[in-house]
Amino acid sequence: MNSPKTTVLSSRVLRHFYRDSVALMAIASATEKREGVIRVGAVMATPANRGILADSDMLPPDLNAESDDLVFVVRAESEDTAKEALDAAEAGLTAVETSGAIEEQRPGTVDEGVHAALAGDGESPANLAAISIAGTYAPIVAERAIRNGLHILCFSDNVAVEDEVRLKKLAVAGGVLFMGPDCGTAIIDGIPLGFANVVKQGKVGMVAASGTGAQEVSRLLDLAGVGVSQLIGVGGRDLSADVGGIMTGFALDLLERDEGTEAIVVVSKPPSTDVATALISRLEGIASHGKPVVACFLGMDDADPDSVTPGVVVRGTLEGGAIATAHLAGHELAVTDLDPIEPVPGRVLGLFTGGTLASEAKIILKRAGVDCEILDLGDDQYTAGRPHPMIDPEARADKIIEAGADSSVGIILLDVVLGHGASRDPATPVAEAVMAARSEAESVGRRLEFVASVCGTAADPQGIERQRTILRDAGVILAATNASAVRFVAAQQAGAHAS
Amino acid sequence: MTILEPVARIINVGLPLIVEGVPAADVIQLDWRPPAFGEADVARLALILDDDVTADANARAITAVHSVRPQLTRVRPAKEVVPGIADGRTLLHAGPPIEWERMCGPMRGALIGATLFEGWAETPDQAEALLDRGEITVDPCHHHGAVGPMAGVLAPSMPVFVATDPSDGRLAFASLNEGLGKVLRFGAFDDEVITRLSWMRDVLGPILDRALEAFGPIDITSLIGQALSMGDEGHNRNVAATSLLTRRLAPTIAAMEPSSDAIAVLEFLAGNDHFALNVSMASAKLSMDAAVGMENSTLVTAMARNGVEFGLRVAGSGAEWFTTTVGPADGLFFPGYGPDDANPDLGDSAITETLGLGGFAMAASPAITQFVGGNPDDAIAATKSMRRITLGPHPAFPLPPINFAGTPSGIDVLKVLDTGVLPLINTGIAHKLAGVGQIGAGIVTAPPEVFLQAARSLANRRGIS
Repeated sequence: MNSPKTTVLSSRVLRHFYRDSVALMAIASATEKREGVIRVGAVMATPANRGILADSDMLPPDLNAESDDLVFVVRAESEDTAKEALDAAEAGLTAVETSGAIEEQRPGTVDEGVHAALAGDGESPANLAAISIAGTYAPIVAERAIRNGLHILCFSDNVAVEDEVRLKKLAVAGGVLFMGPDCGTAIIDGIPLGFANVVKQGKVGMVAASGTGAQEVSRLLDLAGVGVSQLIGVGGRDLSADVGGIMTGFALDLLERDEGTEAIVVVSKPPSTDVATALISRLEGIASHGKPVVACFLGMDDADPDSVTPGVVVRGTLEGGAIATAHLAGHELAVTDLDPIEPVPGRVLGLFTGGTLASEAKIILKRAGVDCEILDLGDDQYTAGRPHPMIDPEARADKIIEAGADSSVGIILLDVVLGHGASRDPATPVAEAVMAARSEAESVGRRLEFVASVCGTAADPQGIERQRTILRDAGVILAATNASAVRFVAAQQAGAHAS
Repeated sequence: MTILEPVARIINVGLPLIVEGVPAADVIQLDWRPPAFGEADVARLALILDDDVTADANARAITAVHSVRPQLTRVRPAKEVVPGIADGRTLLHAGPPIEWERMCGPMRGALIGATLFEGWAETPDQAEALLDRGEITVDPCHHHGAVGPMAGVLAPSMPVFVATDPSDGRLAFASLNEGLGKVLRFGAFDDEVITRLSWMRDVLGPILDRALEAFGPIDITSLIGQALSMGDEGHNRNVAATSLLTRRLAPTIAAMEPSSDAIAVLEFLAGNDHFALNVSMASAKLSMDAAVGMENSTLVTAMARNGVEFGLRVAGSGAEWFTTTVGPADGLFFPGYGPDDANPDLGDSAITETLGLGGFAMAASPAITQFVGGNPDDAIAATKSMRRITLGPHPAFPLPPINFAGTPSGIDVLKVLDTGVLPLINTGIAHKLAGVGQIGAGIVTAPPEVFLQAARSLANRRGIS
């Protein structure tokens, strides 16, 4: 165990000085880490310990120490280093460890969380679990939460449909909501969960299989002066044939019984045929008992009661759904479309952060017969490795700037989504990108227009007026609703083709 | 209608962003990690296993364990009391089963020493040859109701502590602790070692047995309980329990003839701070055995290391071992030694943690808290973290620093998988070469793999897939 280099062995004896061997080992270990120190021994000089020192070539030949004496031995590269190490070791005997207060461990599991909720005096039990972990584990955690009687908001995606069906059945049996998977928006008892706008509380109950769809409808209701009693998310697949609307049905049961809910709107992509039949008949039942219902099924043909679906208003756009629902609640939402501007040559490019807003745009443009490219930048193919563009707007800003250099593009359609969960200032990156793209286009004599709507409310953390001002100052044409923005674009295209 | 009665209290598993609109006081943010160490299939099995059947079985199992009040009744030659080793040539060792060929240095050295001690060979070479040829049966202590620290080698002529369950007469055994330095349990087998073992056989064992016969059985639970309030944790610090045991027996021993032997025994006890460790181990073994074979229970009944593998046994899977390769403990080393010298983790002494002593009772033992980072606060945190994986506090082992709450006791495989928290084990570190001895001490955690295996096996037994 001899070091190949020339080394010195120094020792220091503290007479009649006792420290526990563990304390001494810790001091030795700390001292050994010093630069130039090869090995440190810190022991009570008992015969056994002297033997241990000897075995490792660490016993000073002239050591004069008894069992009750503490001895430090340092092998180091130089006398000075050794002396400093001995000083440090001795100082370590009296050093006071800075000891913070004991940090209570945070609960790590659902069961521990349920327990922790009750830990304080007079604390109320936990009643909802928000789950946004990897989809592999989400069903396991959700099942534990359901067993604990918790409602679930499951933001996680990549949950197998079999798991979704099983968990929703378990939830219904346990009398709790399973909102999700891939459910980004809910407002329960006025509490916003996930990506939700700050809307007034009121008497419209919402059941939504779509996140930004629910946001657009709820914020338009708010604009019309209509509040929401509950906004229950059910996950995008709930009305598929596989899931069969299990959670939509459960949510409708809740809202039908709720005295605080006077009208109901269901927001979804069009349900699968079998599910639609059952659902419409369920909705008709609710309507026939005096609680009016709007089925806002994106892309479906509008229909009013007393024709195809007695008792249920069907609307194929978010805006239409919001207007119809506001009307049933005794309020009118007047959407004033923008005056047309001089037609813009070039194609339409939609750069959306909200998936359902992108879908609504596609539907309206398709109906208008306008060729377009509408991108949902929240889709997996664009987000790989990056946060959702509603959280991190930079990814879309890059796309806007790219479009500035694309001579085929004439008009760019945008959404700006506010509310909890969303970026604190989504408008500024859009505004900066818009100005950069426009100056790029104008530098080659091209005209490039930007049309947007802001999905938000005055009470949102970002503040809708502040966000709109930022966009307007950048020259973005602002419509009141997503649908209105899209109609404006469609009108320009019609004009452009006509001219 | 409000859905969240009486007021919203939200457990958030994942991104804080999701609940940013919720008043912070109403959010319980979890420090979540993937269950079952990221093995989603096992996490699912564990979830299915976590039902009323398991809960009932675990309640029965932990009640059985906590009801045992082991008595130290005798110190007898192993061959008289330990089942299955009286005839032929059998030596017992620590940990799960392992063949001679794969054994680590210290365990091989200890088996050579035990062979010499039994007089089955004249020289170490002869002893090794006998073992090479398989002429000596080697078997785990745990298969014979026994436990041994480090190499844990138990030979038929060695005296053993006999721990007795007064309620049903069950027995458990542990070897007698030889002290520190050159000792068999670290693989030393020179004359000094054999001479000491002979003295333990001829003098120490018989005198202790006579003393116990005269004094009467000693209640080990109360002995350990008292020691926990005196700074022991029942595994790596045993000075209080040893002192208490010695104090009880000393007057009886002092009166024995020849007085030179009595004095030698008392001197031996006075010079061995770890003497009571083996008593603690026998007691823990007897307690945990009360749950062995408890159908459907996910309670851990044994953790043991053989210097190559870590082994786990669970109540509901009876005698089955779940094993995986282990590395050396990370810890503090005696002067002149470091991690490169360390043998992979070794010994049956983790039976103490299985019951809730040792690493689980760290809060009780300020003197050795440096192993967990330096101060008593860390020790309290260590003990509290073990609450997350145990079935309940041990009623007879209150720990003063946590307001006399019982030490966390009874490791539940399902809780380990759900929390990802691994059992903490206080351990001595052996040199990897036979006979060098103890070179340090520290903390290890049980390896995750054995808990995954256990969950698969338990699920399989219940037809869950």
